Amino acid sequence: MLEIKNLNFKYHRFSSEVLDDLSLSLKEGEVGIVLGKNGSGKTTLFKNIIGIERANSGSITYNDTDLLKLKPRERAKYIAYVPQNIEFGSLSVYDSILAGRMAYFDIKEGKSDIEIVEKVIREMGLESYIDRYVDELSGGERQKVAIARALVQEPKILLFDEPTGNLDLANEELILKEAKRIAKEKNVSILMSLHDINQALMAGDKFFFIKDGKVLKSGNRDIVNEEIIEECFGIKVRIVEINKQKVVLGRWVNEENY
Amino acid sequence: MAVICMFTGSANMGFVECVKALFFKSSSANIRILYNIRIPRVLAAIIAGAGLAIAGLIMQTNLNNAMASPSTLGVSNAAVFGANLSIIAFAGGFLDTGHNVVNYASSANPYATSLMAFIFSIISILLILSLCQLRSFSPNVVVLAGIAIGSIWTAATTILQFYATDVGISAAVIWNFGDLGRATYKTDLIMFVVVFIGLIIFILNAWKYNALLSGDASALSMGVDVKRLRFISLFMASLITAVCVSYLGIIGFVGIICPHVIKKLMGQDHRFSIVSTALMGSLLLLFADTLSRSMGSGSALPVGAITSLLGAPFFLMIIFSRKAGKKC
Repeated sequence: MLEIKNLNFKYHRFSSEVLDDLSLSLKEGEVGIVLGKNGSGKTTLFKNIIGIERANSGSITYNDTDLLKLKPRERAKYIAYVPQNIEFGSLSVYDSILAGRMAYFDIKEGKSDIEIVEKVIREMGLESYIDRYVDELSGGERQKVAIARALVQEPKILLFDEPTGNLDLANEELILKEAKRIAKEKNVSILMSLHDINQALMAGDKFFFIKDGKVLKSGNRDIVNEEIIEECFGIKVRIVEINKQKVVLGRWVNEENY
Repeated sequence: MAVICMFTGSANMGFVECVKALFFKSSSANIRILYNIRIPRVLAAIIAGAGLAIAGLIMQTNLNNAMASPSTLGVSNAAVFGANLSIIAFAGGFLDTGHNVVNYASSANPYATSLMAFIFSIISILLILSLCQLRSFSPNVVVLAGIAIGSIWTAATTILQFYATDVGISAAVIWNFGDLGRATYKTDLIMFVVVFIGLIIFILNAWKYNALLSGDASALSMGVDVKRLRFISLFMASLITAVCVSYLGIIGFVGIICPHVIKKLMGQDHRFSIVSTALMGSLLLLFADTLSRSMGSGSALPVGAITSLLGAPFFLMIIFSRKAGKKC
């Protein structure tokens, strides 16, 4: 289980806390969605988990392994990251995915690395792309390559930073379904930041509403209600149920069009 | 290319004479020209060309900046200051010769000038890397610190030149022109050791550089200690530049153009691009040197100017070519 306890972080000595005693936990196979306004601390939280930033206090553990004490190479075997803006340079799809195995080999990839890469390529349906340069692919395809690269790291925790931010509707659905499948099939804990609450309700098992660096409320989809959204985002919404699925509507929709 | 370069020069040696000299069958003057002047020069072109080109590639990758060059950390500016100080203030040598223009030609000690250039380059590298450590080697900070420190060295050089005599300033300006003719077997060996060590370190880190193309966060999440990699890479690339510039003067453009040409033609996979860029650098500098010696009618033109004259149009052609679609 991923456990983050009392995490505190500020960028400069005299600035205010960006993460303020933040705690959350996520079991294996669960998709956890981090929700909050811009500037609420979502990206900073991810930066601390990856190790780009160092928390001032608190702990991040996975089944009692202190992730903050691990060197990058060892940490890469626990945590993989799929960024929002994906850059690969001019590398082929195959080589980009193989780069994800770097924590497991020194100079040249081994047989087991190649086997894992080929397995993930098949699982993700990327066989027909492997010789193409990643920068020639569409946004959705690149996102799939980034996920494949993260998967070959064989991580226990997968971080998605606003994965649907640059995608069209079809690719949004594709990536969220893929994330859900990976969490269940590979028993990986997925922590994902999303802006769209409806997407979050579609993909998430657990929800973390963050405001001013603190977790306001966390739990399953039952906690997603009009009050917590208003408290977290500062806007009034209406939640309706369609086919037993919660759908969040903006109040302006009610007032002007319905 | 190396063979053509070896057989080209201002001395009136024909092809047959050159081959004879190569096997010690020609006059002692020809043998000396070949073994003491041309071969060290050809070796210098191969080594410095490769070194500057890979230094440029590594700078561009590590700083995520297409405009980065071997001199981004202000190394060349520092070397120029060191060399100018040695030439202008110490009449080409050290304090024993003093500020005496009459003594300049006889007392000029090229090793002292190179040593001063090298010492100031190292000071500059250590200064910038220590400063950048405070900000975790953030690429933008490194580039800006390089510009700032480089401009301090340039300003100091300008002040130095303001107080220089005519002879001193001419000697300083001539030193600034890159010249492979200064190479000896000894300098070639020193450059080779540094460039070779750099090449090995860069090749061993090729996968990490590939990861760095995805940005710091992704590279770190793949297991790359980005800060450490950047420190080692910038230090080694700057050291290569410092050695080459200290011995040969400023040879511009090789370090910018070669990495870009290789990226355009072959993509950015560092497993292949490091070695290819090194070869491209050697080839460009050999070609430029051959041309500079053929065009100079008796004395070689500055090779740095030739690399730019040759490289820039080719570079433009590659950039605007529709077929080569890889991004820089």
